[in-house]
Amino acid sequence: MTGRTRVVLWIVFLAACAAVASQAHFTTDLSAFLPRSPTPSQRILVDQLRAGVVSQVILIGVQGAPQDKLAQVSNALVERLAQAPEFAYASNGAQERMEADGKFLLRNRYLLSPGVTAERFTASGLRTALQDDLDLLASSMGTLVSGLLPRDPTGEFLRLLETFQLAGGPERREGVWFSGDGTRAVLIAQTRAKGFDIDAQEHALQRLRELFGDVSKEHGAPAAQLIAVGPGVFAVGTRAAIKKDVSRISALAVVLVSCLLLIVYRSPRVLLLTLLPVVTGAIAGIAAVSLAFGSVHGITLGFGATLLGEGVDYAIYLFTSAASKGVSDPAVGRLWRTLRLGVLTSVCGFGVMLLSDFSGLAQLGLFSIVGLVIAFAVTRLVLPQLVPAGYRAQPLIMLGPSLLKLVEAAPRLRYPLIVLVLLCAGWLVSRGGNLWDDRLENLSPVAEADKQWYARLQSDLGAPDARYLVVAAESTQQGALDAAEQIGQALETLQSSGAVAGFESPARILPSDRAQRRRQAALPDTGVLQRNLAEAARGLPFRVEQFQPFLDDTASAKVAPLLRGADLDGTGLKVRLDSLLAERQEGWLAMLSLRGVRDADAVAAALHRLDRSSIHLLDLKREADDLYRGYRHQALIFALIGVAAIAALLLVSLHSPRRTWDVLAPLVASLLVTTAALTIGGRQLSMFHLVGMLLVVGVGSNYTLFFERQSFAGGDPQRTVTALAVCNVSTAIGFGMLALARAPVLSAIGTTVALGAFLSLAFSAILAGRLHR
Amino acid sequence: MISGMGRRTSRKAWIQLLVVLTLAAPLACAGAEPSWSLDQLMIELGRVQHAKARFVERKYLKLLTQPLELTGTLEYRAPDHLERRTLTPKPESFVVDGDVLTLENARGQRRTLALQDNAVLWAFVESIRSTLKGDLGALRRFYDVSLEGGEKSWQLSLNPKQPRMSAIISMILIGGTDGKIGTIEIREAKGDRSVMTVHEEGA
Repeated sequence: MTGRTRVVLWIVFLAACAAVASQAHFTTDLSAFLPRSPTPSQRILVDQLRAGVVSQVILIGVQGAPQDKLAQVSNALVERLAQAPEFAYASNGAQERMEADGKFLLRNRYLLSPGVTAERFTASGLRTALQDDLDLLASSMGTLVSGLLPRDPTGEFLRLLETFQLAGGPERREGVWFSGDGTRAVLIAQTRAKGFDIDAQEHALQRLRELFGDVSKEHGAPAAQLIAVGPGVFAVGTRAAIKKDVSRISALAVVLVSCLLLIVYRSPRVLLLTLLPVVTGAIAGIAAVSLAFGSVHGITLGFGATLLGEGVDYAIYLFTSAASKGVSDPAVGRLWRTLRLGVLTSVCGFGVMLLSDFSGLAQLGLFSIVGLVIAFAVTRLVLPQLVPAGYRAQPLIMLGPSLLKLVEAAPRLRYPLIVLVLLCAGWLVSRGGNLWDDRLENLSPVAEADKQWYARLQSDLGAPDARYLVVAAESTQQGALDAAEQIGQALETLQSSGAVAGFESPARILPSDRAQRRRQAALPDTGVLQRNLAEAARGLPFRVEQFQPFLDDTASAKVAPLLRGADLDGTGLKVRLDSLLAERQEGWLAMLSLRGVRDADAVAAALHRLDRSSIHLLDLKREADDLYRGYRHQALIFALIGVAAIAALLLVSLHSPRRTWDVLAPLVASLLVTTAALTIGGRQLSMFHLVGMLLVVGVGSNYTLFFERQSFAGGDPQRTVTALAVCNVSTAIGFGMLALARAPVLSAIGTTVALGAFLSLAFSAILAGRLHR
Repeated sequence: MISGMGRRTSRKAWIQLLVVLTLAAPLACAGAEPSWSLDQLMIELGRVQHAKARFVERKYLKLLTQPLELTGTLEYRAPDHLERRTLTPKPESFVVDGDVLTLENARGQRRTLALQDNAVLWAFVESIRSTLKGDLGALRRFYDVSLEGGEKSWQLSLNPKQPRMSAIISMILIGGTDGKIGTIEIREAKGDRSVMTVHEEGA
């Protein structure tokens, strides 16, 4: 193949890759960087978080104005939100907005109330009820009851109100929800769009901000501030942050690496030629990820910066050596072999990421592998065609001697280094299990301040902590409601024994058809009921004829059509129902959230006795943390496999255990020191740091290898050491820029590799004394 | 986070109504003595720093063939402490201190509420507290106030200004002698009424 053909093929390849890459679909869905859940119930959970009602809820706070103004803004805002097409529901606690719920409960009390049993409507059941009523009338509740009793002597409505009453709850000022300290009006809104539809979420958020701007001006509170938080809001913010981070990081890396090259080589031509392989590699990497995964994650693009740092190495080595003279030169042959081995060790490191259960990490792995291999191939096959024969880049004259002096002096630090490494190892051992941060939520890129606002508004709104959840997955809606009723009975027993303080069930808001029919059947015919009531009231001071509304309501309830989900439309109960009962691909899911769980084992045992395989108890926090620990364990194993593969590769290529050790020893030292440095001050490591450590071995080995192989015996040692230093610094820049990213995956990997790669080369020089003297 | 919406409606209504029930009222004499004015009455009332009394309350309800009777104690301590303890037929307490209302029933269940959060409740409490305090300004914030009778037998009529309040209570009538309240009658919009007679202790 002639040189010209190679160039043409390269251009064709580049064009093809660019075509694929330009069609790529970019995502920023962060669930790619969360583990895929292994159990069905956990998958359900992740789905709900992604697409469930929870994901559509926006918690809103309004502050920075006097209380009456805040209340006016709150009322006006909820009014506008209710009309906005982007929102399905909005509430600020104002009484008028709650009326729909109360009416629904009152109207449908005989289908909804668990108190509706045949015994309750016998003469003796009714007598008990009337005696209770008399006590109530004499209490301070009397006035309310006296209005209701003619319709509801058995107290079904009051019972429903009690059922839907939970501990806590928002405070009210001026008739609307406020935070406890009265400085913040709080509202809740639900978008029509699903949480994962980030474009729509962004649109809804935009609309919310506009409406707020309008109403705050109209009500003379232009200084009032809006706080909006929720999963959808976070997704929008995260996307914007990733977009901004990725472009900022890439731009910074390009500028810094370019400056470095310009300063050292003072040649725009060297700069352009050096960037060619990297750009080709990056485009090919994007194309490969797009083809393999169907979409490219924004974070993967962020990783392009690292490719830049590492990919420029090959061209720099090429220009430094006499490589462009042709392969006949034995020194050039050795260079290519060293570089090839370096690429292979890097590929080993990134290759292990392909096995990861985090699809995001697998993308990063594929992108880096393809990018490096292509950058190397372009350097090897195409670049020599584009430069004149014998072309060599001239680095800054004074750089070589001083670097060489440093290299020669470095071995003196050998013993201090050994002491340092031992200290670091001791430190890490002493930290023990405390070294790892096993909380999944810490992998989230949502800013700490936003998380705090979310928690604050949640507590303003009196939301229960949804740590424990009982889940029932059934093929039909009725099946799910049946299961929820069965679970509810078990939970009521636990509630009376104090094992749980309370729970929410979808079947309380929408009972199963079976339960509704059972209640209808429990209501006697009007004639029978009238006789029972008259008998019950004998000797009590009631005017029985006042109870006509009761007779009318039971008669119509007995033949009323059964309640459907649609009957709840327009009520706050509907939003609640939707968060507890969801349709998904495989069927229906009922979720019962528990409050005040004091004895989780008793709950688990009671559910086990129900003997339904579709029912699971989830301790969300523990499940999530367990899941994460499992993934960290997996990452550790993969990292060890990666390191072993790299060691084996070196052993095979170098044909010498001693030389292999010489290459690995600085890496081990670098890993220990880097890890210790990252954990200074009680900081903890995430699994992304672990991935970073694997890459320290994969990437750092390039430098230790080069240092060992290109021993400064032959050739031009000054030039070689300069090239090595430039390559190392450019890699440190590439990964170092990632440390600025807000996504923990990027910053953790970036920090670890930047420091680790730099230390690998430094430690190579320090430990080399023994090798070369 | 979506929890607790439905019941809130009624908890509020509940409390408004419950409060209404709580105190009661009149017997009044008319007999105009033109020299006797509202301002004078307020000054008289405002002199009392502390008062404690027993009460008997009768509730006349459409639903019942005979009135319900409750007994207990009422206590006022200037400027803003008001407390009503029902002793029969079921013990209950209703204590207002500043802006905070605390309710406790026979089973020891306790509820605390801020008056500011509930305009109707606030209006109701002020009908009695502001009267005891002699604070005409506060009374007029919630009611149209008119006075009949003379120093030895006066009657204040309070007509709620806010529609939300008048939907529940059509009128409150407070009668008394000099600086002391003798009766409180509450007439509800739907026709029920309650009458509370107060006998000051040690008076």
